[in-house]
Amino acid sequence: MISGKGGVGKTTTTANIGLGVALNEKKCVVVDFDIGQRNLDMILGLENRVVFDVVQVMDEEVGLKQALIKSKMSPNLFFLAASQTKDKSVLDSKKILKLVTTLSEEFDFVILDAPAGIESGYEHTIEFADRAIVVVNPEVSSIRDADRAIGILDSKSQKVKDGGEVMKYLIINRIDPKMVQSGEMLSSEDILDILSIPLLGKIPEDRGIVDASNQGKPIILDSNSAAGRAYSRIAARICGEQVAIENVEMPENNFMQKIKEMFK
Amino acid sequence: METKQYSVKVFEATIADESEFIAFFDKNYLFFQHHLISIHGVVNAAIENYLKNKNLKYITNVELPKTKNRQNVEKEFEEKKELAKETAPEPQEVVEKIQDNLKVIDTLVRSGQELKIAGDLLLLNRVNSGGSVNIEGNLIITQLVEGSIRCNGNFMMIKASPKANIVFHDVEVDNAYLKERLNRVELKNNKIIITPVLKETSWE
Repeated sequence: MISGKGGVGKTTTTANIGLGVALNEKKCVVVDFDIGQRNLDMILGLENRVVFDVVQVMDEEVGLKQALIKSKMSPNLFFLAASQTKDKSVLDSKKILKLVTTLSEEFDFVILDAPAGIESGYEHTIEFADRAIVVVNPEVSSIRDADRAIGILDSKSQKVKDGGEVMKYLIINRIDPKMVQSGEMLSSEDILDILSIPLLGKIPEDRGIVDASNQGKPIILDSNSAAGRAYSRIAARICGEQVAIENVEMPENNFMQKIKEMFK
Repeated sequence: METKQYSVKVFEATIADESEFIAFFDKNYLFFQHHLISIHGVVNAAIENYLKNKNLKYITNVELPKTKNRQNVEKEFEEKKELAKETAPEPQEVVEKIQDNLKVIDTLVRSGQELKIAGDLLLLNRVNSGGSVNIEGNLIITQLVEGSIRCNGNFMMIKASPKANIVFHDVEVDNAYLKERLNRVELKNNKIIITPVLKETSWE
């Protein structure tokens, strides 16, 4: 899970998609690769259960089974925390390869949450990726940073060095329907033109997300939330279901508005 | 009626001497095994047998239609220039050099990526914001440019690109002049000339 820019909702998206995939009966592990700045544990509501972290696993100080935290929200969801005390200089290619290989043998999906930025921590996260999900907000700086991150993915990942291609999928997060309609926000078409990668889904701006993150209950569990439903559809798509891309740019009460306008 | 169009590689040879011909094909068989051989002269039984054994497909004494190749175009160009020199009272000295190292690229130039090419470039994709293209030769970009362009060739052709930073021979090009679907930017007498290309491409 990559974004280039920070604060676009990458970690929230990782948590929601991880849980969504697990709720679709797929065994899934989410790994926080933002070494030194862990956040994912809080959004998944697992902060008080973290004992060991991913760096200790890679350094073989503890076994993988000891460090994996099973979520109470789904028996299929597991979590590996980032180290909060070390920094990204501890990352080592060989150890990462060993970790992701072991994880991919046991899980249907292994999702690594990349740190923001394009430094060594990011490069290590994408090093052995099969696929990448790119999270952007509909604004120019996020798009440009994502473009840069994709460029690095396309030149520095092992799969590309071996002559292959890492498939990339786009999630446009925090779409404000009103701002898109008034032209203040970039439209999805413009973003897809610029980044030239297939669209995985669109998430509308949702005030409930902040509260959900604070409580450690991913918004995907709330079927009344538009963002939660959007995450559910994305998780279904990842699991191979054919779900049409929703038009989140149109306000949901559009029909009612039209009727109101008729009587004005 | 069913028709198909192929592009074939043809090797043309004129037979002067039978043994010389066979020796040549023996030596270069690897190159020609997938070519169509166009032979001028008399194909005698020995040569026919040889070609059959080697499974080489051939045609004899056919005048193949030829497209203008680069050398011909250059020759024509030089001739025209000579002609212009003779007729014009004050010949304009513009040193024109056709570079024959044209590169065609169809991947997009993402932010942070730089294309640096000594020759000519035909780019069939976008240049995103933060990406840059640095070309010593001529440049044609068919898609939108939002990054930066440096071009030192005889000309460049660029779409209307309001967000691009374009420098042609160390002079910044004002985006306001790039209005059309395609614009030709040239340097003539130390002046930058921008001509809109209005003609739509049509295939008939």
